[in-house]
Formats: sequence, C-alpha cells, structure tokens
Amino acid sequence: MFRFLPYLLKTLWRHRTRTLLTVSGSAVALFVFSFVLSVQVGLKQLTEQDDSVLVVFQANKFCPATSHLPQDYELKIREIPGVRNVVPIQVFTNNCRASLDVIVFYGIPAEQVRQARDFTLRSGNWSEFESHQDAGIVGHRLATRRKLKTGDKFTVGAVNVTVAGIFTSRNPSEEDYVYCHLGFLQRTRGLDLVGTVTQHEVFLAPGADPATVASEIDERLKGGTVRTDTRTKGVFQASSLADLIDLIDLSKYLGYACLGLMTVLLSTTTIMTVEDRVQQHAVLQTLGVSTGRIFRLVLAECLLLSVLGGFIGIFAAAATLTFSGMSIGAEAVTIAFTPSLEVLMTGAMVTVMVGVIAGLAPAWRASRAEIVPALRSIG
Amino acid sequence: MPVIEVRDVTKQFMKGSETITPLRDANLEIERGEFVSLMGASGTGKSTLLNLIASIDRPTSGTIVVNGTDITRLSRSKLANWRAANIGYVFQTHNLVPVLTAYENIELPLLLLPLNRAERRKRVEIALGAVDLLDRANHYPRQLSGGQEQRVGIARAIVADPTVVVADEPTGDLDETTSSQILDLLQRLNRELGTTFLMVTHDPDAAAIAGRRLRLEQGRLVEVADHVPVPAALEVR
Ligand SMILES: Nc1ncnc2c1ncn2[C@@H]1O[C@H](COP(=O)(O)OP(=O)(O)OP(=O)(O)O)[C@@H](O)[C@H]1O
Ligand SMILES: [Mg+2]
Repeated sequence: MFRFLPYLLKTLWRHRTRTLLTVSGSAVALFVFSFVLSVQVGLKQLTEQDDSVLVVFQANKFCPATSHLPQDYELKIREIPGVRNVVPIQVFTNNCRASLDVIVFYGIPAEQVRQARDFTLRSGNWSEFESHQDAGIVGHRLATRRKLKTGDKFTVGAVNVTVAGIFTSRNPSEEDYVYCHLGFLQRTRGLDLVGTVTQHEVFLAPGADPATVASEIDERLKGGTVRTDTRTKGVFQASSLADLIDLIDLSKYLGYACLGLMTVLLSTTTIMTVEDRVQQHAVLQTLGVSTGRIFRLVLAECLLLSVLGGFIGIFAAAATLTFSGMSIGAEAVTIAFTPSLEVLMTGAMVTVMVGVIAGLAPAWRASRAEIVPALRSIG
Repeated sequence: MPVIEVRDVTKQFMKGSETITPLRDANLEIERGEFVSLMGASGTGKSTLLNLIASIDRPTSGTIVVNGTDITRLSRSKLANWRAANIGYVFQTHNLVPVLTAYENIELPLLLLPLNRAERRKRVEIALGAVDLLDRANHYPRQLSGGQEQRVGIARAIVADPTVVVADEPTGDLDETTSSQILDLLQRLNRELGTTFLMVTHDPDAAAIAGRRLRLEQGRLVEVADHVPVPAALEVR
C-alpha cells in the first residue's frame, strides 16, 4: 500500500487549493469538537469526583453568599462515626450566576490547606502563606488568566489579598480558585461573619458509606440553629452547576454537527477528485491495479485529508485551552476547560473514524467503475 | 501453442433498446513473438477486441486464452493481478498519470509485482533506455512532447516484461515523423524482446510494419494478403 504513497501525496499536492480548503474545514470542525469535548470532560471530572468527601451546606440555599452555617458544627460533625476530618470553609465569589470569569475565594484554616488539598506550589512558599493573615495562594489557571505572580496584590470587591504563591493541582478546576485564611475572609467582607462559614467539607474514613454518614450529619444537626443539607462533593458540584449542565449537555450536539459537516465536506471533496480521475483510475486498473487497491487508495486519500485537518484542529484547541486558562463557573464552582489526554485521544479517534466513513462512498464508487467506459469517457 | 486464442467470441452492447454486435463468433490465433496489426472501419469493434484480449472487458460469449490462461473465467480481482503480469497496454492518448514523473509512470506496473526498489529501478532504467528517454526520467508528462509522452507510455507497457503488448492507435495523435519513430520503436522492441504485439491502427503504413495484418469486417477477422515483404527478423517463426 505504501508503495502508492507518493502517488497519493502528489495527487493531493496537485490540487493544493482544494486540499487546503478541505483540511481547513476539518481543522475547524475538530477544533470545535475538541473544545466542546473538553468542557464536557471538565464537567464530568467535577461531578464524578470520588465520593469520600461530603459537603455540608445550608438547606435550601444555593449561592454560597446565602449559606451560613455555625462554624462550631465542625465539632459536632467530628463526633460522627466514619468522619475522618472536617474543614470549615468560607466561600466568597464575585459572581453567583453563570459566568466566564468567576473568581472564587476559599477561606479555610491556613494550616489545613495542605492536608485538605493536594496542591503543589509552583512559586512562593507555604510558610509565607501560613504566617500572613492577608496572604492567599492562587491557582495556576486563574493566575495565568489574571496575569498574577507571587507578591502581587489582588483585589476583588472588598477582598484584598497578597499573593503568597501559585499552585497547581491534579484537579484543574481547583486552579481557578484563590485559597486564603478563613478568619481573614470572615472579617474582610464587612459583614459579621465571624463564627459562621459557608460550608463544611467532610473527609470520610476509609470504608465509611457516604450516604449513611451524610444523613447522619443532617440528622444530628437538625436540632441546631440552621438546617443542613449534606451531599457528596460530586453531587454538590453538579447541583451548583445545574443550570450550566443542561447547556453544556446541549453543546455536544454542536460537536456532533461539526463532525457531520466535516464528513459531508470530506465526502464531497473526495467524490470530486474521484470524478476528476475516472479515466486515471481506469488506466491504473488497466495496468493491473485491483479494484480493492483503488478502493483503499481513495479511502486513504480521504483519511489523509481528515487526519491532517483533524490533528491541526485538535492541537489548536489544546493550545487555545492551555494558554487562555478559560473556565466557566456558577455558584462558586468552576469547570476548567483543559485539554486532557482523553480529549486528544477521542479527537484523534473521531478524526480517523470520520475520515474512513467519509471515504467509503467515494471509494466504493471509484472501485465499481467499469474500466472500458471510463477509458472512453475523455480520451 | 498460440499465445493468444480467441474462440467464437461474440461481444454485444446494449444501447437503449438497440443491440450492437461488433464481434460475432470471431476467431483468432496469434503466435508468440508475432507483430499483428488490426485495421478496419471506424466502429467495427477493433478497440473492443483489443480490450477483450487485454482482459479489461468481457465477451458476451466465447473464450479467450492468453498465455495458457482462460481469462474469461477469472474473477475481477484475479484478472487485475493477471493483467499486471501479462499485459502491456499502449493507449492512444491521455495515458500517463499527470502528477507522476516519467520515471514514476513507468514504475507503476512494477509496484504491483513483488520487486524491491533496486530491482524496480533497474527495470525502469532499462525501459527508459529502450525508448531513449533516460534524460527525461524526472520530467512530468506536461513537460514532454506528444511523441515523448507516447514513448513513456510504451516504456510503461513493456517494463514488466508482459506476454502481450496491445496498442490502440498508438500513433493516432502524432504527426508523421513522430509516428514513424514510434512505429520503429515498436518494431524494434518486438524484435529485441520477442514480445507479442497487437496494434490497432487506421494508417496503412503503420499496419505495414506488422508481420501479419488483419482486418475486422462484420464482426469477424480477415487476414490481409501480404503485398509487403515481411521483415527478415520476423520471418523466423
Ligand atoms: N460501452 C459501450 N456501450 C455501447 N456501445 C459500445 C460500447 N463500446 C463500444 N460500443 C460500440 O461498439 C462498436 C465498436 O466500438 P469500438 O470502439 O470497438 O470500435 P473501433 O473499431 O475501435 O472504432 P474506432 O476505429 O473509431 O476506434 C461501436 O459501434 C461502438 O459504438
Ligand atoms: Mg477504437
């Protein structure tokens, strides 16, 4: 098969305008597809997080600005069997609604950040963060988006922190957040929040059943001043993003539509080249090229166009996502648009599949043509 | 044993409700190494017969045995392989692949045979030498004259050392001088390689170079009496 590769490449090169246009079309299609897919994957990561972490929130509240739990619920929750650790968290966000530039501050006891999260500091240091009340560590993606570096002052609304470090996390969504001292955030807001927090994050002991512990927590705190609603972190985040989830789910049809268009585009181009070369294929067959090989040649031509364009699109999308640090969020939960291996692999697979599917009809047509009438068609 | 045996071959085409029968119980035997020319009025079925022998078309009835193989019984894919090894086809025009150089065009049939790159190169160079185009190996068809293009076409037809070379009006598109060069070339190749040639032509002078001349009349083949002395080299058979 590879013996005919020069023939294939030279044919594509001969019609370079057509080739270029088709490749561009495929690139655009795969760009959009990969982009949409990254959002889907980002969402999936958030909502399918392992369920060994529970979030205790005020019942019937949705925006972090309206959830107020007594901080000392922490002590009561700790007593419940199956609970390994509890972290009280004050959340502050500049925007509770769905937005492309959500800034979220998580205030948590400074000494607990390191054990509650698996962050790696890219710059700055932990002791700087832990020893200064107004210090914050900023996620890498947010820092990129807002062009922040260690030592900068960062102000959103009434919150004013000094960047003590930039962190990365295995969970890309975390990189959209700022972590600061709980006491600092409780005071800065100008509201008397001391003694209350937005939520408690509960880390379960190995083997503990999340559902049992969750209902046990809500049961225990029923007698307190504020009713609670405890869910696993995945479920909690899914409900925060509920409005977006439907929208994002819808966006997958955009991705499919792009693939559909790309298939049609590739098919059209390939059919055109096949029609241009009816006589040439007949000459090749006269020389002894089998119908099977003609079929494979045309299929390979279509596949090549698809892969060429597709890969450009995938990598362009990956580059855009990496360097823009884009994300979308609602109710203090953000979905990071990150290129993942999963997206790259799926994109590559889809590209190959589209190339093959688009090439089938032209390849079939080329291989079925009768030799003699085809030879007579022009010559 | 003849290298080509056409036995009771009938070929019909349906044109709407009309049936055309260019070949009606045609019979023909050609011996190995012969150079046969085929003439006949336009539309009598010369190309049709050539295509049947070259196995790119199938007869309505009858059998065609070439080099011991009954090609009317082979499947489409088997035929392709058989053609690669046994048939060289020289077209009238439009026969080179425009995106490939002369060298690559000539190499095409060899890509279908189990030959490595070095073996292919050797054979292409021999073929290029035979048609005297070694200096044009890397030229594209559009950079060649009509006569040169046809020589490349001939080189491609002989490069795999086929049993039979068929040529359908190989000089039909060329001027007189170029035509006679091409005819000389074909004659020389027939002599030197011993390949069997079957050439369709409208030109009596072209037909005259053949050791044996046929006419297609009313669906049957008729031998043409020999007025021209047979070239010495062909007399041996
Ligand atoms: N695929 C086809 N369908 C219908 N009729 C055909 C087909 N191929 C050939 N014919 C008819 O068969 C007859 C013989 O055609 P062929 O091409 O063999 O003639 P020819 O002797 O080569 O003519 P010329 O000298 O003009 O090349 C013609 O009448 C032609 O119209
Ligand atoms: Mg003809």
